Amino acid sequence: MKPYETYLLDRANVAGAHQLATFQKLGGYKGLEQVLKSGMTPAQVVDEMKKSGLRGRGGAGFSTGMKWSFMPDITKDPRVRYLAINADESEPGTCKDRVLMEKDPHGVIEGSLIAAFAIRASAVYIYVRGEYRLSHDRLLAAVKEARAAKFVGKNILDSDFSCEVFLHKGAGAYICGEETGLMESLEGKRGHPRQKPPFPAQSGLWNSPTTVNNVETVFNAPFIVQRGAAWHAGIGTQNSKGNFLCGISGHVNRPGVYELPFGTTAREILDEKAGGMWKGRQLKAWFPGGSSCALLTGADVDVVLDHDSLRARGSSLGTAAMVMMDDQTSIARVMEVIARFYEHESCGQCSQCREGTQWLSQIFRRIAHGKGQDDDVATIEALAKGMAPGKTICALSDAAAIPTLSAIKLFKEELIECIRQKRDPLGIPAPKYASVGAH
Amino acid sequence: MVKITVNGRVVDADPTKPLIRACHDNDVDVPMYCYHPGLTPVGSCRICQVEVRQGDAPGRVMVACRTAPVEGMIVDTESPKAHSTRRECLEFLLKNHPLDCPICDKAGECDLQDYTYDEGQAAGRSNEPRRPMEKRKSLGEVIVLDEERCILCSRCVRFFEEVPKKAQLTVSDLGSRSIISTFLDRPLSGNYQGNIADLCPVGALTLKKFRFRARVWNLVKMASTCVECSRGCSIQVEVLRGSDVKRFRPRANEKVNGYWMCDVGRFAFGHANAEGRLEGARVIEGIAPVQTPIETGLCAVRDALMATKGGLIVVSPFCTVEEGAALQDLARRHQAEIAFVSPAPNALKDDLLHTGDPCPNRRGLTDLGIVGESPDALVKRISAAKLVVVAGERVVELLGADAVKNLPSTVALYAFECHPVQSGALRAEIGIANHVERMGTIVNVDGVRGPLAAAKPAPRSVRALTRHLEDLARLSPRREAAAR
Amino acid sequence: MAVPNKLMALPKKLTDEFDELVKNYPERRAALIVALHRCQEELGGWISPEVMEDLGAYFELEPVEVFGVASFYPMFNLRPVGKHVVSVCHNISCDLRGAQDVIAKACEVTGAPLGGTSKDGKWTVRHVECQGACANAPMFDLDGVYHEDLTVEKVAQILGGVR
Repeated sequence: MKPYETYLLDRANVAGAHQLATFQKLGGYKGLEQVLKSGMTPAQVVDEMKKSGLRGRGGAGFSTGMKWSFMPDITKDPRVRYLAINADESEPGTCKDRVLMEKDPHGVIEGSLIAAFAIRASAVYIYVRGEYRLSHDRLLAAVKEARAAKFVGKNILDSDFSCEVFLHKGAGAYICGEETGLMESLEGKRGHPRQKPPFPAQSGLWNSPTTVNNVETVFNAPFIVQRGAAWHAGIGTQNSKGNFLCGISGHVNRPGVYELPFGTTAREILDEKAGGMWKGRQLKAWFPGGSSCALLTGADVDVVLDHDSLRARGSSLGTAAMVMMDDQTSIARVMEVIARFYEHESCGQCSQCREGTQWLSQIFRRIAHGKGQDDDVATIEALAKGMAPGKTICALSDAAAIPTLSAIKLFKEELIECIRQKRDPLGIPAPKYASVGAH
Repeated sequence: MVKITVNGRVVDADPTKPLIRACHDNDVDVPMYCYHPGLTPVGSCRICQVEVRQGDAPGRVMVACRTAPVEGMIVDTESPKAHSTRRECLEFLLKNHPLDCPICDKAGECDLQDYTYDEGQAAGRSNEPRRPMEKRKSLGEVIVLDEERCILCSRCVRFFEEVPKKAQLTVSDLGSRSIISTFLDRPLSGNYQGNIADLCPVGALTLKKFRFRARVWNLVKMASTCVECSRGCSIQVEVLRGSDVKRFRPRANEKVNGYWMCDVGRFAFGHANAEGRLEGARVIEGIAPVQTPIETGLCAVRDALMATKGGLIVVSPFCTVEEGAALQDLARRHQAEIAFVSPAPNALKDDLLHTGDPCPNRRGLTDLGIVGESPDALVKRISAAKLVVVAGERVVELLGADAVKNLPSTVALYAFECHPVQSGALRAEIGIANHVERMGTIVNVDGVRGPLAAAKPAPRSVRALTRHLEDLARLSPRREAAAR
Repeated sequence: MAVPNKLMALPKKLTDEFDELVKNYPERRAALIVALHRCQEELGGWISPEVMEDLGAYFELEPVEVFGVASFYPMFNLRPVGKHVVSVCHNISCDLRGAQDVIAKACEVTGAPLGGTSKDGKWTVRHVECQGACANAPMFDLDGVYHEDLTVEKVAQILGGVR
């Protein structure tokens, strides 16, 4: 692996960087200052972001500059507009935003303010998942410090730009990480995703134009405005630019969150960052970007981690959360866990998703517990195809179907064998505590 | 309006209303569970998927309830893609549905059952146990919830939020654990609870007063008008085998009641089904009423009217426009005075439908020129009169049964009523058809005319008031000649 | 503001806090979820029916609407819980590294059944979905604090040390 320049986690690795004094010593708020004092217009910031090639880090990988440009023209639509920061990180395998919020909260605020400036938002709501207490408290303290130092509030740094930053807490519902579910939740309602259109840029929070960005996405903004779009666009591969945070978990020696340039291969991350598979075992299967993307096998480990390469393999980059599974892993058990997760997290609005996630979960549970039936695999496949793509209000139904279909595609023999033998072929037991958790 | 093509036919569509409306308005059937024209669409059940093409883009399957018609849009509700998507959706909806249609009150008018038949999806693939839930959960005096049958369309939740504008139900919990519930199982309240049983696309919400009373395919349904207040909600009267009224249900009418009606009106079939009807005619001979042929009763009325000038005709506010006109004609012919009973407004008035005015045809009678007077004032006038004819459904009840009973014997009282009249002043009484047994027109508070339907036959030897009045006119030609 | 004078279950300290909180949003009810968190933290670890009614009055909502919201979010306890709550992640990254053993040990040490509360009312143990600690799996959340990179020995040590 070639040496590369880091920037995303540099401050986070410095003790005390969550406090304003240290943050500023490390160059913090210089990006915001540059935007506000250089006379950049919001349109110029949007343009810079487009040129930089930055793509959203929440899973969909949409161009950030493009997303910002969808906000209506202020001269024609004078409504108040909002920026919502999606800090409801809850995609299984994903724990990268938490690092930024806990260790570099001012960086998150600075990035949010630049995004807010670009879309002319007068308020930022950072929606932090309820379980992330430390993230929430660190952000809250940082907002307080930043307000006192005139980085947040009226006439920031004596410019014309005024923007408030508020924190909001989720309460354990995965679906609130979906942008429209997040908006409902921010409005104090059940987190039921909204049918699109209208898109948030037309009608989002409180029917006002709204942009929803992931934490890591906006975190990139200060670096891009300071060092230029060309610098950022010079890192990475053709359609995936810059560095990204990659969480690697599961059966590896050194699980962790690592900063890497796009273009790194999965093998490089596994071997050089995570210290290889544990116990000297082989890689059997892995999720490249959280549980909502298609499984890959050990044979795919040389794939370059970027949007295009993973798509070419039939999967996706998702949240770049690699979950690695060794050769002593039961796919039936993995799928029981994954299916149970989507059953637990379906909001319950759409018929296909509410019933389908439960159905898949029931079948995978039976298979893993040695009670599979001959037609199960065929049923699973048909159900998953009935749940996706694009048949429901939001993509949770798709997110449940995608890993399911990949498991059938890659591990059909193993599942059939598991059904035939009424046990996992490797003899791996099903989880004892397996029900959908009540509350 | 925009022009769109639905199944090959060019039709006009209102772009402010969802595509499913344009389909339904043009008799194109698109199934729906969560969508209801009277509620905000949510697009959650996903059953109304149709294939839509715009411009050169390939056809996409979309929910018709959350898609706005756009000029030039080409819609195919029957394409293979649309069908297969709906079929899949149906399989999911049936995954936990108990399929207890044989014992379900909704069977025969269940959207889930009907559409399953349409798609011909006989076999289910599920080997899993169905979600076990509560089968008989009382939601108060009106409604029973069967949680197992519920498909979580949330119409009932939205109804309370959007129509009476006071939330009473919610979907609680989430995902496959979702259920419809009130707060702490508190009973539902208010005068509009029954609507959620109509709204429920399956048999999850049923009326306590209808459960197990009839199979819906045995009900004869007639379009009529509610008579419990001056709103005159458009309703459907549903009668089991020509005998009892089993249900009143609202009939969609944008000018009057939208899609709703109140529980007072909904459950007012007690009046319609009441026993102890006055049949034929009864004439007082001595002190006891004697059952006579109708003609004899009518002759007694005629003789009295011809013998006494300046009688008083007291009209029930339940009388139709036609009955009012005929009574007015009678008054004119016999130089009698005429007024209708107008009781004080009751406390049922609300902001939604109930007007609090117990006179369903106040507007119709007033428009004819008949004046309404309070029961007290009328009783006074009656007590002072020599000859009084009271006519119409519930007229005695509205005047006050006691007041009528205690009228002085100086009054000669003749009655056209549904039920026998108790009064010392009574000389003759003739039975009449009630509001589900006769045709006619009533005019509501806003001047909208509504029909009454003869949804069930009146008891033997009971006729409509208009028929009696026609016969009476035929029996008394000489009086008219004499007046000339 | 049409807040009833008497909120039976909400102490003034909390309503004062909420009075500030609602200023963060253009609509009052937006603060509901944060308020539910505060009530759970301050009022015995769960959201009682009385609290839901009071929150309804405070936020100008029907109690059933508050209930609908509270029941949607797994973090809100609508029934009483133990003095200490252990939430063990059993999602994929934790499952791969021994979450089931953590659950078993946590139940053993505390005497609480999974998803329930110990007889002495001291412990509630439950399994939860991904908590975002995947790189430090397995983990549990004990009374709002993450404990990561767990082993069964560490589970016994941490829970055994709680008074």
